[in-house]
Amino acid sequence: MTDAMNRRRFLKILGVTGGGAAALSGCGIGPEPTQRLLPYLVAPDDQIPGVATWYATTCRECAAGCGLRARVREGRAVKLEGNPDSPVNRGRLCARGQAGLQGLYNPDRITGPRLRGANGQLAETTWDKAIQLLAQKVADAKGKGIVFVTGHETGAFGDLVDEWMRAVGGRRIAFESFALEALREGNRLAFGTAAVPHYDFAAAKYIVSFGADFMETWLSPVEFQNAFTRAHAFAAGADSSMAKYVYVGPRLSLTGLSADEWIAAAPGTEGLLALAMAQVIVSRRLARSPADATRLGPSLAAHAPDKVAAQIGVDAKTIERLAREFAASGGGLAVAGGVAAQAANGVEIVAAVNLLNYVAGAVGRTVQFGPDLAQDAAGSYRQLAALRGDMAGGKVAVLLVHGANPAHADAAFAQALGKVLFKVSFSSDPDETARAADLVLPDLHPLEQWNDARPRAGVYALQQPVMAPVFPGTMHAGDAILRAAGRTGTFKDYLQTAWRDVHRRHGGGKSFEEFWTAALAHGGVYTEIATRSVRLGPGAIAAMGEAAPPFAEGDATAVVFPHPALHDGRGANKPWLQELPDPVSKITWHGWAEVHPETAGKWGVVNGDVVLLKSEAGEVRAPVWITPTVRPRVVAVPTGQGHVAYGRYAAGRSFNAFDLLPGEPNRAGGRTFVVAVKVTKTAEHVFLATTEGNAREHGHGIVNVLPLAQAQRLRPGKHVFEAEETPAYARGAEEGWAEAQREMAALGGYAGTHPRWAMAIDLSRCTGCSACVTACYAENNLATVGEELVRRHREMSWIRIERYFTGGKDGESLHAVTTPMLCQQCGNAPCEPVCPVFAAYHTPDGLNGQIYNRCIGTRYCSNNCPYKVRYFNWFNYAEPGGEFEAWPEPLQLLLNPDVTVREKGVMEKCTFCVQRIRGKQNEARLADRRLDDAELQFLPACAQGCPSEAIVFGDLNDPRSRVRQLSDNPRGYHVLAGLNTRPAIAYLAKVTAPSGGAA
Amino acid sequence: MTKGEWCMWGGGIAVLLLARPVAAQGGPAAPGFRAPVLSQSDTGKLKGPRQPIFFRHDIHAGQDRIPCMYCHYSAAISSEPGIPSVQTCIGCHQIINGTTDSHRAEITKIRSAWRDRSPPEWIRVYAVPDFVHFPHMRHIKVLGTDAASCANCHGEVAKQPRIYQVATLKMGWCVRCHVQRKVTQDCTACHF
Repeated sequence: MTDAMNRRRFLKILGVTGGGAAALSGCGIGPEPTQRLLPYLVAPDDQIPGVATWYATTCRECAAGCGLRARVREGRAVKLEGNPDSPVNRGRLCARGQAGLQGLYNPDRITGPRLRGANGQLAETTWDKAIQLLAQKVADAKGKGIVFVTGHETGAFGDLVDEWMRAVGGRRIAFESFALEALREGNRLAFGTAAVPHYDFAAAKYIVSFGADFMETWLSPVEFQNAFTRAHAFAAGADSSMAKYVYVGPRLSLTGLSADEWIAAAPGTEGLLALAMAQVIVSRRLARSPADATRLGPSLAAHAPDKVAAQIGVDAKTIERLAREFAASGGGLAVAGGVAAQAANGVEIVAAVNLLNYVAGAVGRTVQFGPDLAQDAAGSYRQLAALRGDMAGGKVAVLLVHGANPAHADAAFAQALGKVLFKVSFSSDPDETARAADLVLPDLHPLEQWNDARPRAGVYALQQPVMAPVFPGTMHAGDAILRAAGRTGTFKDYLQTAWRDVHRRHGGGKSFEEFWTAALAHGGVYTEIATRSVRLGPGAIAAMGEAAPPFAEGDATAVVFPHPALHDGRGANKPWLQELPDPVSKITWHGWAEVHPETAGKWGVVNGDVVLLKSEAGEVRAPVWITPTVRPRVVAVPTGQGHVAYGRYAAGRSFNAFDLLPGEPNRAGGRTFVVAVKVTKTAEHVFLATTEGNAREHGHGIVNVLPLAQAQRLRPGKHVFEAEETPAYARGAEEGWAEAQREMAALGGYAGTHPRWAMAIDLSRCTGCSACVTACYAENNLATVGEELVRRHREMSWIRIERYFTGGKDGESLHAVTTPMLCQQCGNAPCEPVCPVFAAYHTPDGLNGQIYNRCIGTRYCSNNCPYKVRYFNWFNYAEPGGEFEAWPEPLQLLLNPDVTVREKGVMEKCTFCVQRIRGKQNEARLADRRLDDAELQFLPACAQGCPSEAIVFGDLNDPRSRVRQLSDNPRGYHVLAGLNTRPAIAYLAKVTAPSGGAA
Repeated sequence: MTKGEWCMWGGGIAVLLLARPVAAQGGPAAPGFRAPVLSQSDTGKLKGPRQPIFFRHDIHAGQDRIPCMYCHYSAAISSEPGIPSVQTCIGCHQIINGTTDSHRAEITKIRSAWRDRSPPEWIRVYAVPDFVHFPHMRHIKVLGTDAASCANCHGEVAKQPRIYQVATLKMGWCVRCHVQRKVTQDCTACHF
């Protein structure tokens, strides 16, 4: 790649010849416009036109440090997938990780350095001037207060900033909106160490989450979800078929949806529950507790179930049962976090949960100190509050911000910004903090830069540029800092110097160059860290006294939780994440307030009524979503929206939930996310932009659930859900149809042996996380349609997650089941015979093909589809400048060149990623080999991304294939089988461990 | 890079298409084939679009018998045939100056393209719409990599002073060959 400019100019033409990521032009009839071919000046040695190159790097969308493999075509990244070498995510990736591409190609990115001029407006400047000014301002401010705010940095970039700040007499603080301070402080209290241990979900036999949303935002979601499903998925015949999972919290989150039992403890009482369980275990000697646990006994006595049951809102018998089950499982794991750790008494809750683990003997087994997570790098809210005080007091002359947006998360911080003389932002997004800055030095996107991350002890994850910068006017913040600090070399040199240390310890006799190249190819260096044992700390007993909730209730308690996709708002300018339905509420593009039906009745509100929530700190107006997944008198509101800047998709959308939160840090040094609020109904009403049809499936057999005991009795060949797919009276008709099919197959090369592509989806693995949905958007060039069209149900998601509730009435406990719904590739498809132009037809390998260039848009196929998985292009989403433009420049660069972009008037649908199937077939044919089941199992984008490996793909005609084995599973069923559509997708019924007293 | 240039990335496109019934025109030029001497004034009668450089396939592939795959380097492994980089041209034309004035004039153009780092913008001759995914490599795998194989779809390139489209590239033309050879006629072989 000797000349990026010429290479890119070449790509603009030839890149596109690589299969056009371009709109269908009309019906494709008539002469094509003159096209030009621009050759490379020098052909790059790592790119072949039309062939994808994969680069290993590290995801920076959150601090988990998942390994990435970026698929690069003609010099541009078009798809992100998990790196199978990484021990963190094992080749899997969440929706936020997938959407990293939309940050890279974001149309609102700042394209070059900006300086606030005399007129108060940010204006373009040059890098030389900008860096000179930065160096000047920092030098002038020596002794007057220089502070650098970074995000959660665990690698060399943080070290560089620290070095620079030391040299100029400044300080660095890290700011993460959900920094989990209580987790560290709670561990310090219980065990005398602030380290955050590794939680071995895969080895657990009984999991209790005290509000820890470990599948969405807590610590390392992909890793935990993957491990969780290993433990929790039903595996017939295995010794312990599945771990039971109990979720404790005032609100059922995405993580809670998978729970076998939901304990809706009052907010802030999670710690009491944990202590009560510990009390039962210790007093009844249910587990082999460590020797020093006995000294807890006397203090625990005050927390016996019957003494605290009323306060928690759970009866004593249930608490005792939970304790018995937890201890008897022999592999209990309790985790505290999320809502629980962010209550005002979060530290004590975490400490109490630690004690529960300790007395049950889980510490050292499922809770492993040693391979600790680098959570200390997240900073704390106390530091930010202190900085805010300094700023307001005029003690900060220069403030530099990188990788954080405190002006959005903290209104008082935004105000205090005005008191700082010179503010520098390294953000390449026009966020609230950058908007207030005097100098903006836009950083490269993480996919364009060198960096590293050390998410946990033993994992050294490398980040390398997977493509040339989208905007040549941006610069690596590390390079800019090195230049401002007057140092030589680039940030890559700095990084390599840091890695010489890793080489010394883990080089294994290789030269540094060999070591570096190997690390780049694998995405990093992964080593094993021995676990160490911990003992009860001195503060453990004292902590118990404080475990009760400290706040008085107002009208209601507001629980502010991180949005699973938008998180603290950093994902808000990515249309994939905005349009991704929230896994619980199914609401897109705006915020909402979750209210229990009983409470809603009392307040006299219906879905969409806007309520005014007023806390001591501030107020927000939120539309109500009525749901049984929240405790009465609790209002749950997500963060993520309410931006006043940040770009076209983010700005001006609903409310900023951070406004409700107090500005003062709590005892843990963290922020309190559970606050008392007054609720007032307003006259306003909005139509929720939801993709939900019905919250219950009304016995249609879309989802099936088996109790564990029944599932264990299943024997191969005995299908529980077997429906008579062809009733006797229809058999004659079916035989006639089969004969006609055989005749037709004799035409056009259909005869002979072909695979029958099929899928098996295990609902006991699906958690509803929706990573598959975003993966599909990325792979298949799905358009995002925006809030207005989602309201009209015109979203284009070929795969959607349907979430149904069961129970919850007449004293039955509430459960949720999630199921991916996509084209079932019916063997006897209702969509095919109604197409007048044969655009919908059956392929020899069993797919329901959809030929876009043939489609004339009658929509008969969609009318006739019982699964409603066909999507119509009502507008020209690819039209530049169009009203519903989905890929404004340069967002169109993420389009997959292997997939046609559909035009207005065309019906589109899932074809099991036929382009990937054809790609694999081409690969096999060139190598003169047959396709192997192992390379097919996770071939479609949804299956590839799924963190819980719930989706398996393959050839149903191959008796040895995994998909065939799963389809033959006695738990298997077809959705709407009675319609005789003969789907290629077999769903495996969800299995739930018994809740209530049945254990 | 300007905004406009970025915009073009996503613009309308297709894949270079090579596919033609087996029974089509001939093979490589016989040894000793001499390409005719042509001057700019003779080119008016030639078929095909006028290119920024009068690159003569009949000289390179015909008279000099350079294998197609020497320049179109990725045709056997990719859906794209590979348009040769300017460096490939210069590899030879650093030394080879041309024998006639008109040849020298054209060779000077590629040398200045190299010197100015501005590759020539060729006019595309073989193109299919963007909803067609044509895998070159699968066809080369079956037909072979020699000029006779390429001629199945591209005609006697070795005798064409200027490249022109010899096949219609319409679907019927593709399908006819697939029927003759009894290979897939499934729509999703190309359309997805």
